[in-house]
Amino acid sequence: MRKRYRYVALELASPLVAIAFAVLVGAVVIAAIGKNPVQVYRIMFTFAFRRLDSVGIMLFGATPLIFSGLAVAISFRAGLFNIGVEGQYLIGTFLAALAGFALKGLPSFVHLPLVIVVAALGGALWSLLPIYLKVRRGVHEVISTIMLNYIAFSLIHYLIADVFMDKQQGLMPGVGNPLIRLPKIAASALMPRMHGFLALLGVDLPRHVYLNWFFPLGLLLAVAVHYLIWRTAFGYELRAVGHNPAAAEAAGIDPAAVQIRAFLLSGLIAGVTGLSDLLSYFGYMDLDFPKGYGFTGIAVALMGKNSPLGIVLAALLFGFLNRGAEGVQTFAGVPMDTVVILQGVMILSIVVASAVMGRYIRRQERKEALGASW
Amino acid sequence: MTWRRLAVIGLLLLFVVAAVGAGCAKKEAPAPTPAQPAEPEKPKALRVGLVFDIGGRGDLSFNDAAYAGLERAQKEFGDKVETKYLEPSAGGENREQLLRLLAEDKYDLIFGVGFMFTEHVAKVAQEFPDTKFGLIDGFIDKLTESSNISCLLFKENEGSFLVGAAAGLKTKTNKVGFVGGMKIPLIEKFEAGYIAGVKYVNPKVTVFSDYIGTTGEAFKDPVRGKELALSQIKKGADIVYHASGASGIGVIEACSSQKKLVIGVDSDQSLTAKPEQRPYVLTSMLKRVDVAVYETIKAALEGKFQGGYQVFGVAEDGVGYAVNEYNQQMIKDIQDRLEELKKKIISGEIKVPQDKKELAEFEKALPK
Repeated sequence: MRKRYRYVALELASPLVAIAFAVLVGAVVIAAIGKNPVQVYRIMFTFAFRRLDSVGIMLFGATPLIFSGLAVAISFRAGLFNIGVEGQYLIGTFLAALAGFALKGLPSFVHLPLVIVVAALGGALWSLLPIYLKVRRGVHEVISTIMLNYIAFSLIHYLIADVFMDKQQGLMPGVGNPLIRLPKIAASALMPRMHGFLALLGVDLPRHVYLNWFFPLGLLLAVAVHYLIWRTAFGYELRAVGHNPAAAEAAGIDPAAVQIRAFLLSGLIAGVTGLSDLLSYFGYMDLDFPKGYGFTGIAVALMGKNSPLGIVLAALLFGFLNRGAEGVQTFAGVPMDTVVILQGVMILSIVVASAVMGRYIRRQERKEALGASW
Repeated sequence: MTWRRLAVIGLLLLFVVAAVGAGCAKKEAPAPTPAQPAEPEKPKALRVGLVFDIGGRGDLSFNDAAYAGLERAQKEFGDKVETKYLEPSAGGENREQLLRLLAEDKYDLIFGVGFMFTEHVAKVAQEFPDTKFGLIDGFIDKLTESSNISCLLFKENEGSFLVGAAAGLKTKTNKVGFVGGMKIPLIEKFEAGYIAGVKYVNPKVTVFSDYIGTTGEAFKDPVRGKELALSQIKKGADIVYHASGASGIGVIEACSSQKKLVIGVDSDQSLTAKPEQRPYVLTSMLKRVDVAVYETIKAALEGKFQGGYQVFGVAEDGVGYAVNEYNQQMIKDIQDRLEELKKKIISGEIKVPQDKKELAEFEKALPK
């Protein structure tokens, strides 16, 4: 039994070892461009952790990744690879933005939840076709979701630029370029920020931080997903199908039904990914709405080993890396490209280290098991 | 017991990192900004910051033009200015934070390069009333001369009109092409001005118009740019104008390989084209973002920074057509005509259309 704890400790240590390794590799990269690694790291950490606004910005930055990471993880648990979170959240965000400006005069307690539901349904809608094709026609979901991502990008461009674009932007005749965006979302659909609540706790968060209630909502969702996976019958079926669909079927589980439900659930969660930005930062959707949360979500889910706690931690790590990158760029003069390399090294070494560590633990366990049987 | 050794090494590394971090953190007073390199601060240097749009330096077009302006100011004013540039993350979601960090770090004049910065400059400028902002291509409502924002706006349609006229005068097949990047009003402005210029000097000409795509990728897709240009050439076009950022590299390649003429955009692309392509670059539509950046820095240095709107059209030499050692022989015969058109635009005799609707009216009014 004591051995078991050692393995758990080892597994927990693996990301830390990986981070230490990445920090060392990063130091070499920084030294190679002629900067002092110690100073750069010092700036990165002090900037990220010794400023209240940075902490808030890191949490805000982690928020969408918690949602997209959870969405990827749920499909992954059922043995499906949802590459389509990217398209699903853009469709969800678009429909939410539409419901946000088109519906007027609703009270906030109706409008805001309605917008969130619309976004989730939009995400699920965009995951409907791939899972149908997968279950009924055997089309691999990776192919169909990638293609649907492209369709989503172009469709949204068309709808924003050509159909719903806000023409009332008060331009001076003859010069200036309008933002290619939808009309602004009604105030009743905006998500309140956490400043008021934090003030009650004695934390005076600077006004320019957009941290809002989607962050605690994401944490709650992580708890719910954990409960779903480990404490419900559906969660059990999900894991069984993910591990071995044939065995699950033999045990009386319908793999197709489980996969459909898991994929739609993944789409529902994916749909909400963009709302933290949409409903508290921008207040409108434009062609330039942040992209890539879906793809980063895959990295987040992998780093978090598809466990909700791991996903929250991985999302926070990304929040830190992005905020730290701003500080390093501004105050240490490290160019953006180098910062991107540093981020890549860190992510890669965490993934590799956890794989190596996992394999090592399994081998040890096997050895022990064999030893015991001898 | 290799795992134990591994764990020990890991923990040790961690302690080292944590200790370095903590040690440094302790030395630091709770000051929000980490220390700058310890060289003595020059007392009166104007601190100029610039945030690029996604893609940053090296696009041979828009961002590079802004950088050229910054560089020129640095070179000419030397110690009197101190410059810094930043680049947003790939998704672009931190444009606002970067502007704010520069403002916090006491930069005196901060540029946002591109109309995507519009809302962000507006917000941050309100938080930092003592900092001056330059917004390129973007328009913010209700500014006055005493505002701390200066919108630097260009009449791309006027410059495009002139290169369109050049194409209309030079074409032998009476067919010319236009390749746009992303289909947005900004690029349609280039297109409208170009078509108007072509038709003004030569109503018989047909203009083929194509756009590369619907996302920001459209500005960095030379393969598609080349395909579109080739298909226009196949239909008979002998001159193609592009407004497609880095995708234009493909357009230039297509035209020079087919021995047809090409018109560049934003900066003088005769100079950035490969030597064997140069004979085919008829001219370029210059959009002097570099001049706008430089002039704004100069004005701020001299204490003459003005809020509101600085419009750069043909009259201000903010847009125009390029003449250089490579193309001067090619356009010698039409240069007088182009200068004449330039004067007509400045005097208001020609009002260059800026979108599809105005273009239709413009064409209707042309003498048949």
